[in-house]
Amino acid sequence: MEAEILKLLIKFLLLVLLITFGSIAYTMLYRKWRTRRLKLIENSFANICSLYLYPKPNEKPNLIEIQRELKAVGIVPSKPRNVQYLIDLMIRTQRSILGVNYIKLKTLFTQIPPYGASASKLNNKKWYIKARGIREIYEMDQSQYTRELIRLRNNKNIYVRREAQIGIVIFLGWKSLRFLPYLKRQMTLWQQIKIVEKLNDLYPVPDLKHLRRAYNSDRPYANELIMRIIRKFHLTEDVAYIIQFIDNPKFETREAAIYCISSFLLSDEQLVEIKEKFKNINNTEQQLLLLKYIQRISSEIDLSFYKDLLYNGNDIIKLSTADILWNNGFKEEVQDYYYHQYTQNADSESISV
Amino acid sequence: MEIDLYYYIYLVLKYFFLFYGFCLIALYFFAILLSNRSVNRNKRKARFLQVNDIVSATDIPSITLIAPAFNEGRTIVENVKSLLSLQYPFYDLIIVNDGSTDNTLELLIDKYDLEPFDSTFITQPIPTSTVNKIYRSRKLQYRQLTVIDKNNGGKSDANNAGINFAATELVLCTDADCIIEQDALLKMVRPYLEEFDQEIVACGAAIGIINDSIVKNGVVEKLRLPDRLIPMIQVVEYIRAFLLGRMAWSEINGVMLVSGAFGLYARNRMIEVNGFNIHTVGEDLELGIRLRKHMEEIKVPYKMVYLPETLCWTEAPNSIDVLIKQRDRWARGLWETMRLHKDLFFNRKYRDMGLFYYPYWMFFELGAPIVEFVGFLSLIVFTILGLINWNIAILLFTSVYLLGCIFSTISIFIYVKNFKHYSTGKEVVELLLAAYLEPFIYHPILVLGQVQGYYKKIFGVKSGWGNMDRKGFQALPKEKQ
Repeated sequence: MEAEILKLLIKFLLLVLLITFGSIAYTMLYRKWRTRRLKLIENSFANICSLYLYPKPNEKPNLIEIQRELKAVGIVPSKPRNVQYLIDLMIRTQRSILGVNYIKLKTLFTQIPPYGASASKLNNKKWYIKARGIREIYEMDQSQYTRELIRLRNNKNIYVRREAQIGIVIFLGWKSLRFLPYLKRQMTLWQQIKIVEKLNDLYPVPDLKHLRRAYNSDRPYANELIMRIIRKFHLTEDVAYIIQFIDNPKFETREAAIYCISSFLLSDEQLVEIKEKFKNINNTEQQLLLLKYIQRISSEIDLSFYKDLLYNGNDIIKLSTADILWNNGFKEEVQDYYYHQYTQNADSESISV
Repeated sequence: MEIDLYYYIYLVLKYFFLFYGFCLIALYFFAILLSNRSVNRNKRKARFLQVNDIVSATDIPSITLIAPAFNEGRTIVENVKSLLSLQYPFYDLIIVNDGSTDNTLELLIDKYDLEPFDSTFITQPIPTSTVNKIYRSRKLQYRQLTVIDKNNGGKSDANNAGINFAATELVLCTDADCIIEQDALLKMVRPYLEEFDQEIVACGAAIGIINDSIVKNGVVEKLRLPDRLIPMIQVVEYIRAFLLGRMAWSEINGVMLVSGAFGLYARNRMIEVNGFNIHTVGEDLELGIRLRKHMEEIKVPYKMVYLPETLCWTEAPNSIDVLIKQRDRWARGLWETMRLHKDLFFNRKYRDMGLFYYPYWMFFELGAPIVEFVGFLSLIVFTILGLINWNIAILLFTSVYLLGCIFSTISIFIYVKNFKHYSTGKEVVELLLAAYLEPFIYHPILVLGQVQGYYKKIFGVKSGWGNMDRKGFQALPKEKQ
C-alpha cells in the first residue's frame, strides 16, 4: 500500500518536473520570439518618426499609411503589450528630442494609435497600471489630464499618489505648492527629491509667493520638502525657515534641516542662533555634523563656544572640538584641557586611595 | 527484547524524519509562493524608481563602502579601481588594511598616490584594534578613497574601523575581492528612499558566482558558468538561496541574515549596536539578529530587506577542501550566533522574530545537518539490523530526490524568467544538470563541512577563518571557442 502511494507520488512529481521544464523552455523561446517582434516594432517606429520629422522633398507624411504600418507590426488593441511597448518608445523618443521636432512629434503622437491609452489606465483597479498611466501622461506632456491627477494625489497606494504628485508638479509648477504641503498621507524621501528635481528642471525661477504660503503647513514631510526646495534654489533670504528646525524633536526633520543648512553661509546672528540650538540636539552624530558646519562657515573661532563644548560636551564632541581647536591654532587650550583632565583624574585617584 | 527496543527506536526515528521532512518541504513550497510574489512586486516597484532618476538627484543619502583587505596584494589594485568606478553621486570608499603581511598597503600607496593625514582626533565609537595610520590620495580623481591601516583584528574588526571613520548615513560592507555591479548602489538605496513608516536597518542583494568569467578593469565583461562542477553547483545553490530563501523572508519582513559580502546598513544603528561582533565567525548573521533585537527593544518599526537582483559577484571555492573549510566556518558561525541569542527562542517579547524566525533557524538551518547526519548513521545501523524495507526506502529516496529537483528547477525557472544572466539554452541545461547532480556529489560534502564545524564547537576545537585560497580575477580565462 505504502509502495503504491509512493509510486503515485513519484509519477506526480515527475509530471510537475516536466511542467517546470516546459515552462523554462517556453519562457526562453517566447523571449527570443518577443525580442524579434519588439525589434520589428522599434524599426518601424524609428522609420515613421524619421520620415515624419524629415520627409522626402515634395512628400507629405501620410497618416493613414503610418497607421497601416503600425497595424502591420502588431499595434492593435487586442495586443496590449505591443501597444505598451510603442508607448514606451514614444516616451523615450520624446525625452531625447527638443525644440521644433519635439512639438512635431507631440502632434504626431496625438494622431496615431494608441488613442487615450494612458488616460484609460487611470481607471484601472491595479495600482501598477494606474501608476503607469499617470507616468505616461506626464512623460508625454498631456496636461489636459491635470484635474484627474489632482484627484489621485491622496490615493491609498503610494506609487499612484507619488506619480500623481509628480505629475501635478510637472503641469502646475510652483502652483502645485497649493496642494503638496497639505496632503493627507506621508511623503517619502523619494517623493520629496523627485518634486524638488522636477521643479528645478522645469521651473528654475522660484515663485516665492506660492512657496511662502506653504510655510504655514505643520506637516513634518512638508517642512522637509520646503527645506529641500530652499536649499536647491539657494534661497538665502529664507534660510530662517530651515534654522527653526535645527533642534526639532523629530529626528528626520532635524536631519533634513542640518543637511539643508550646510549649503548656506550664515550671518553672525544666525550663527549665534545655530549655536544655541546646537545644545538642544540630543543626537551626537547630528551634533557632529552641525559642529563641522559651524566650523566651516565661521570666519573666526568662537573660543568660548568651543571651550564650553570641550569641558561640558560628551566624549565624542570633546574630541571633535579638540580637533577643531588644535588645527586652528589653539593648541594651548587643548593641552590645558587635557592637563586639567589629567590632574583631576590624579586627584580623584589619590582621594580614592 | 533487544530487537523490540531497536524496532521501537527505528519507528520513532522514522516518524521523526518523516515529520521533519514534511515540515521542510511545506516551508519550501511556501517560500516559492512568497518569493515569486516578492520578485514580481520588486519588478513592478522598480519601474517607478528608475536608477536614472536617482543618479541625477542631489538629496539622496550618501554612502560609504567599507572593504576590509587582508593579504589581497594579488587583486587589490584592480578591485579598488572597480569599487571606485561605481555609479552613485555621493559615495566614499574606505579600504581597511587589516594588518596584511604582504604588500597590499604598499601597492595601494603607490598606485593611488596616498599620503597619511593627521588622525589624532578621530573618534572611535566602536572599539577596534589599533589604527596605525589613515591615508588619503593626493590625486583629485581618487579623492573619495581612504585607506585605514590597522593592526590585524579580523574582518569584523576591520569593518568596525571603517564604520567608525565613515561620515555618511549609510555604510555598505563588502569584501575587497567582490565585484560590484556599476549601478548596485543606486539600486540598493531604493528601499531607503521609498520607506516612510518603517526604518530600513539593512538591505542586501543577491550575490552571484563569477569563477571563470571575464573581468576587465573591475567590471564583469562576460559572465560564464564555471568550468568545474563544484562552483557550478554553487551557482544553483546561490540562486536557490537568494531567490527562494531570502526573497521569501523579505516578503514577510523575516530577513535575519544580510550577507557579509554585500550589505547596506544605517550607520547610526550600527553604532548603537556596537558594530560587528568580533568574537564570532558568523558576524553577518549575528549582526542581523542584534540589529533586529535592538529595534524591537527600542520599539521602532523597522525592516530588513532583500533585492532579487544580483548586484555583487564573488569567487566561490573551486575545490572540495576549500568548500569544506568555508562551510565548516559558516556552521561554526551559525552555532555561535544561535547560542549567543538563545534568549530569543519562543520569546514573545521579540514578536515574530522570537516566535517564528529564530525557531526556524534553530530547527531547520542549525538542525538540518544534524538531522541529515543522524539519518545517514541510522541508515547504516538499521541496515545492519535488517530493519530497512529497501523497496520503500528507494521509492522514498526517489520522491525526496525529485522534490529537491523540483525546488531547484523552479528556482532556475524564476531566475531565467526574471534575469538575463544565464540565458542560453546550453547554460540553462548545464545549470539543471548541476542541480540534479547536487544531492549526490555536492550535498554530502556540505553536510561533512557543517558537521565538522559543529564538532569543533561541541568539543572546543580551536579554529579561525581558515585560508580561502582564491584564483583572483586578473588572470583572464582562456577564450572558449
